[in-house]
Amino acid sequence: MRTEKVSYIRNFDYVLLLSALALVAFGIILIYSGSLPKYDNSTAVIEHPVARQAIFAMIGIIAMFAMSRVDYRLLGYTAIFLYVGALAALMFVLIAGQAVYGSRRWIELAGTQVQPSELTKLVLVIVLAKYLTDRQERIGKPAVFVTSLAIAIVPAALVFAEPDLGSAVILVAIWMAVIIMAGARSAHVLGLIASAAIVAPFALIAVVSDYQRERIATFLDPGKDPLGSGFNTLQAEISIGSGRLFGKGLTHGTQTQLDYLRTQTTDYIFSVLGEELGFVGVVVLFALFIVLLMRALQTASSSRDPFGRLLATGICTYILFQVFINVGVNIRLLPVTGIPLPFISQGGSSLITLFIAMGILQSVRTHRGPSEW
Amino acid sequence: MELLGPKKRRWRSPKEKQERSDKQTLRDKFFYFRLLVFIVFGVLTLQLMHMQLIKGEAYEQRAQNNHLRVSPTMPSRGLIFDRNRTPLVENVPRFSAGIIPADFPKEREAELLSQLEALLHVSGAEIAQKVGEKRDSKDPFTPVIIKEGLTPEEAFSVRELESRLPGVEVVVDPIRRYVDGPLLAHILGYVSQVTEDQYPALKDKGYELDDRIGQMGVETIYEQVLRGEPGRNYVEVDAAGREVQTVHEVPAKPGAGLVLSIDMDLQRKTTELVQQGVGNSLNACAIVMDVRSGDVLAMVSLPNYDDNLFADMTDEQYQALNNDPAKPMVNHCISDTYPPGSTFKQVTGTGALQEGVANAGTTITSYGSISVKNEYDPSIVYVFKDWSALGTLNFYQGVAQSSDVYFYYLAGGYYQDGVELFRGMGAEALAQYTREYGIGAPTGIDLPGEAAGIVPDPVWKEQELGETWTIGDTYNFAIGQGFVTTTPLQMVGVTTAIANGGDVMVPRVVREVVDAAGQTILPIAPEVARHLSISDENLATFREGMRQAVSWGTANSAAVSGVSVAGKTGTAEFGPDLGGGTYESHAWFTGFAPAEDPEIAIVVFLEKGNGAKDAAPLAGRILNYYFHRGD
Repeated sequence: MRTEKVSYIRNFDYVLLLSALALVAFGIILIYSGSLPKYDNSTAVIEHPVARQAIFAMIGIIAMFAMSRVDYRLLGYTAIFLYVGALAALMFVLIAGQAVYGSRRWIELAGTQVQPSELTKLVLVIVLAKYLTDRQERIGKPAVFVTSLAIAIVPAALVFAEPDLGSAVILVAIWMAVIIMAGARSAHVLGLIASAAIVAPFALIAVVSDYQRERIATFLDPGKDPLGSGFNTLQAEISIGSGRLFGKGLTHGTQTQLDYLRTQTTDYIFSVLGEELGFVGVVVLFALFIVLLMRALQTASSSRDPFGRLLATGICTYILFQVFINVGVNIRLLPVTGIPLPFISQGGSSLITLFIAMGILQSVRTHRGPSEW
Repeated sequence: MELLGPKKRRWRSPKEKQERSDKQTLRDKFFYFRLLVFIVFGVLTLQLMHMQLIKGEAYEQRAQNNHLRVSPTMPSRGLIFDRNRTPLVENVPRFSAGIIPADFPKEREAELLSQLEALLHVSGAEIAQKVGEKRDSKDPFTPVIIKEGLTPEEAFSVRELESRLPGVEVVVDPIRRYVDGPLLAHILGYVSQVTEDQYPALKDKGYELDDRIGQMGVETIYEQVLRGEPGRNYVEVDAAGREVQTVHEVPAKPGAGLVLSIDMDLQRKTTELVQQGVGNSLNACAIVMDVRSGDVLAMVSLPNYDDNLFADMTDEQYQALNNDPAKPMVNHCISDTYPPGSTFKQVTGTGALQEGVANAGTTITSYGSISVKNEYDPSIVYVFKDWSALGTLNFYQGVAQSSDVYFYYLAGGYYQDGVELFRGMGAEALAQYTREYGIGAPTGIDLPGEAAGIVPDPVWKEQELGETWTIGDTYNFAIGQGFVTTTPLQMVGVTTAIANGGDVMVPRVVREVVDAAGQTILPIAPEVARHLSISDENLATFREGMRQAVSWGTANSAAVSGVSVAGKTGTAEFGPDLGGGTYESHAWFTGFAPAEDPEIAIVVFLEKGNGAKDAAPLAGRILNYYFHRGD
């Protein structure tokens, strides 16, 4: 018991913890600035986005420490239940969820809105890690490959139907990273990519809803409808560009403070950063993410067992792609799709999920000995 | 440790080899994953550098344009006073009912529209359409005007209901109220919205489509002075278009005021007298001018119109005014030309004296007419009549009696059977003096729409009509008939120059530009257009003739007790022959007073009438008022 405690303290990744906390703090500052146009002193403290985010961060940190104390290998046994639960929640969202901005993503739970797609990303990481760890010997078999794909495709399809294209892409990316890391045959992976490339244009026409198609059209030419759906894209672009090297100063961004940005504490919080803190602020944010991802990858590569390695890899993919898509949308590299910026965007589901993921990473690092059961 | 381990052993089991290669692959994979992380952030960073560092300035400009709305603030328009600083115009608030589309609730629209319909008698459907158009526009916070020019009662009830009619408000904008309306309409003009036709030329001068601009009279000539300089408000607006705060303000500079040369009291009385004496004339004019400065003291053109109507004029009202055959909107004093009749003898007489064809003692006998044989066909004889067989006349008598024959001689000479019995000055010389007096070109008065008039001579006739000038043309020219036409303003200018010793003045209606406190900013000095080439001695001879015309001659009815008046009547025939060689005639009188030390000149013109019977007495009454109003 004593050695275990020593191992925990010695192996705990403080840099990972600190970078995550720094990101959350950074996020709360940006949320404060971004919420100024909508919330004033008359807002009850508990209702204020900053207070809410701080509370979620607190819950997340507790969940992270709790998670880090649990042997991650135990997660494998819960995978099937988590998976079924996640699928059920996604289906429930589709049936009874609340539509915001043309998309059903949230369910009301205990007075707060929960976004099951966020938790689903972590669940998929666990399920895939468990499934592929159990079939390590048969990893080259097409059946395993296809089954693992199916495991990812089902929640991806449900998320896509919300519609939440970004999260669906992230689920597929997680699968891709985990299967490659698990040792899938490159022929399988390449074959799949090739066929996807062929099918994609047709799928786009057949499956993608008007909402998505409009967003894509707007992405290609935001000037077409500057006051309509192109508005967000254009204003985000102007916000970030106008920040230049040092930004206009926190709480002094005209775009942010005069309400030209929409969802500026969630999906477009990066635009607030770009406008108010400029390129320098952006570089600081990127540096924090890079430190966090490098530490997470360190955890993955130093893991003694495949399960831990795949877990850590999946989590890294989840965060990396989430950042890429969110920022990419903000700076018009990618078509509009609502994805929170990890640790930064206002929103409990995403933040708590991320802290649990951090907890899993710490657990992978600190539970190196033989299983205790 | 892992790296060191295998080195110690030489032999490796296949399983170990497999593990080794797996580990190598794994290391590669993590290497690529790390590379992927850097590539992802590298791509994002590159795009951000492009946006923030390379194109940052352009985006900054766009952000500026986004949130700053520049709205013009209108300066208050300069006021106008008469020469005694009596205010002639006021800026008064006008109330309109407006709706701010963004604040007009859609769900209660029907209910609100019916209320507005009842209150303002404006069609609800019309309101709904106007508001609907603007509601979805870029600028839903600028009020849409639904009814202009509310009565004070209407404005009051709208204001009272503002709290119960969300989005509805009373919009106040200043309009011009002309204190004396029709009395000065031709001089002041009016102000109205920039028209679509005017807009392209004005937009570079800082005018907006709904700005007001001087459209006639002094309001248009002195537009730049009166308007002032619009200010600019840089207002920060949020994404919805709502004004957040004023960031920067360039205050509007109020327009400067004008002091007119007009004597409002005289203007009022003159209008009254002309109205009384207008008879069946379609138009009538009277101008009183200060002979020393060219100041217009009174200028009346009938019929007139009320320039206050233009604040809220319907198209029908405008068309009615515009299509009236008497042309009430035209200032006939300056914009219409007429044959001047015998008043033109001022030009012929002074010119002849200067040319040396006559002097005060030159006697000519009028037998009632002179005859001219056709140059090519002596059987055709043209008869040029005098108004009576006046007998033998010297120069003063010729002027006082207004003998046409006397002036035929002065201009065209007299020939019998090809023998020159009297040498005239000739048409070219007469035309030269006519131009010198300012006829044939606008006088340069500070009012818009001035006509030039016609000065005929042989070249003109050849060019315009393709005909040869005849001696008959010279005779007609001499007595202000035939081709010569002038404006009443030009004729008072002729009299002014004779009265003041030869200065042809540029007439003016504005004496000075003043600031809001009434302090003179820019005095406008009297301007002499040119000095006549006629000596003051010769002018004095003619002045004496004019004095005699009033004291015992044709202009006798213009006499004023206690003041010696000098003058010249004119009865200018125009239009078709009414039978027996009679024509309709214009009545003219032009003169000055006091004769010995001229102060003012006057012209009276009646579109129909007789100079001696109609115009001269009217002029006498105006002069009488001028000289005796203080008594």
